[in-house]
Amino acid sequence: MIIECEKLAKTYWTDDKEVPAVHNVDLQVAAGDFVVILGHSGSGKTTLLSLIGGLTSPANGSVRINGIDNWERDDRYISTLRNKTIGFIFQFASLIPTLTSLENLLLPLYFGSANNIHREHALHLLEQVGLADKASAYPSQLSGGQQRRIAIARAFMNKPDIILADEPTGDLDEETEKEILDLFRQQNEKGVTFLVVTHNSNLAKNQISPRILHMKQGVLSEEGR
Amino acid sequence: MQTSFIQKHLNILDYALSSLLRRKLKNGGIALIFSLVIFLLASFQFLTQSLETTAEKVLVFAPDITLQRLSAGRQVSLPDSSIGSLAGIFGIRQIIPRVWGYHFDEKNGANYTILGLPADSIQKAEVSLSHGRLPQKKKPGEVVISSSVRASLELGERKSFTLFRSDLSQASFTVVGIFTDNTDILTGDTILMNLQDARDLFRLGDGMVTDLAVSVTNPAETDTIAAKISGIMPDTRILTNSQIRKTYRTVFGWRSGFGSVCLLTALASFVILAWDKASGLSQEEKREIAILKFLGFQINDILALRFWESIAVACVSFLLGLTLAYIHVAFFEGSLFTPILLGWSVLRPSLNLDPAVTFADLLLVFSYSVLPYLAATIIPAWRSAVIRAETII
Repeated sequence: MIIECEKLAKTYWTDDKEVPAVHNVDLQVAAGDFVVILGHSGSGKTTLLSLIGGLTSPANGSVRINGIDNWERDDRYISTLRNKTIGFIFQFASLIPTLTSLENLLLPLYFGSANNIHREHALHLLEQVGLADKASAYPSQLSGGQQRRIAIARAFMNKPDIILADEPTGDLDEETEKEILDLFRQQNEKGVTFLVVTHNSNLAKNQISPRILHMKQGVLSEEGR
Repeated sequence: MQTSFIQKHLNILDYALSSLLRRKLKNGGIALIFSLVIFLLASFQFLTQSLETTAEKVLVFAPDITLQRLSAGRQVSLPDSSIGSLAGIFGIRQIIPRVWGYHFDEKNGANYTILGLPADSIQKAEVSLSHGRLPQKKKPGEVVISSSVRASLELGERKSFTLFRSDLSQASFTVVGIFTDNTDILTGDTILMNLQDARDLFRLGDGMVTDLAVSVTNPAETDTIAAKISGIMPDTRILTNSQIRKTYRTVFGWRSGFGSVCLLTALASFVILAWDKASGLSQEEKREIAILKFLGFQINDILALRFWESIAVACVSFLLGLTLAYIHVAFFEGSLFTPILLGWSVLRPSLNLDPAVTFADLLLVFSYSVLPYLAATIIPAWRSAVIRAETII
């Protein structure tokens, strides 16, 4: 299993009240799976992604990526994991305003050693999201949808094994959404594992054999169970 | 491995600079205030160094030993016949009797330094004049003054002026030469005249002088000769050139130190401001750090980023502050601080300072300014580096 969650739990405190965001989640994702987690906002989907991505620590339980428990390791390990193994797609565009599209794509390599090979890969990704002509454009010169596509392309920059996507097609038009989902399918066919949280039930339809899960009030359940 | 490390830090620096430029107003404001603080500190240091250097240059012309008679611990005049008692000391090249005193000009509220020398000595003296000539023998009343004294006396095109003697009678003088401005630190308030004219102005008796200026053949023997003079004339105060130099250095150093301590208050205020600014991250800045962490940047990377930002601000401010301080001292004669370092005399010399900057000065200003700034931004940098990304997003 590439991702294993066991009795995973996370609670938040709001106005002195304990709010369970993720409650005893058990999840196993095999390499190459395309997992879609459906749920309304506030159901705990984003928190679950944060826990799996090593952005937040669990109150209980464990998360294993490639068999290693994230929280038994230090910041360096988790950061490297986020940089090399996992690609994040956020609910928002998440671009740095002073960097061009190309530079934003190269950002995961910025603290490494971006070179011409990486540059070519970045340009190829821009082409795949239909923005090859926007390599030198700054985020302020792009529409919201275009910014989102740049951010999606960036998630693939380091050729990750896992993509964690939070409402990846939220503000895209139908045509662009289809292009992005095609990109997801292509990458999935290459063996990239997808864990997508969304309230858009159409998202799974474009994939070959998606595994659909539901999340409600922090509890995860598999479709058909 | 090493190339990768350098490349990584070059990338971080590149990112830090673009990040700084994005928040021009905030960072520009900090850099401007920081530059001002560094400018003040560096000006003090540079000015002190320049004054010491200028004083050193001017003191080359000062006598090796100055003799003054003391009575009841106060200076009194002495007869120029005392020269005879020193004639036997081997190594003395020349002894010049002088009248050296201060004359307060009530009309202009200025204090002038009166220097009376024998006419022969005046002619031989290495005095630099911007124009005119030196007072001549048998021409009473001829003087050389500085341009500051000339302005104070409001002479304009006139060459004659009068000064009051102690009995309120008036002594007349004629300006025959003007000192060059290069020696203004010493001659700025000086009126040079024949010995007899100075005696007359101060109502000293015939043959009386205020001090004797002794030149020695071998400067290395100065202290030995001074000790011998002290043995022959025990009632005299003996000042050597090196003692005067030391006094200048001490006075300038003390005043500079005092001024620097006052400026440290400004520096402390700035450091608090820097801390405050570095701590108060905007939502946009927090969001950016969160994005970087999502993309796999480590706490160390964020720390390095903030550190490079601080270094960039500090370096720009340091260079700007130093440049302004140099211009201030070299081209504006350190006009902001000369009253503190030279005193508030009515006749302030118009200086032509030779800007002197030593590595020690640079290191001192660096230690007083850049290091506290970097220290003040470390903890805020750490706090920003450990931001929980998921709470921002």
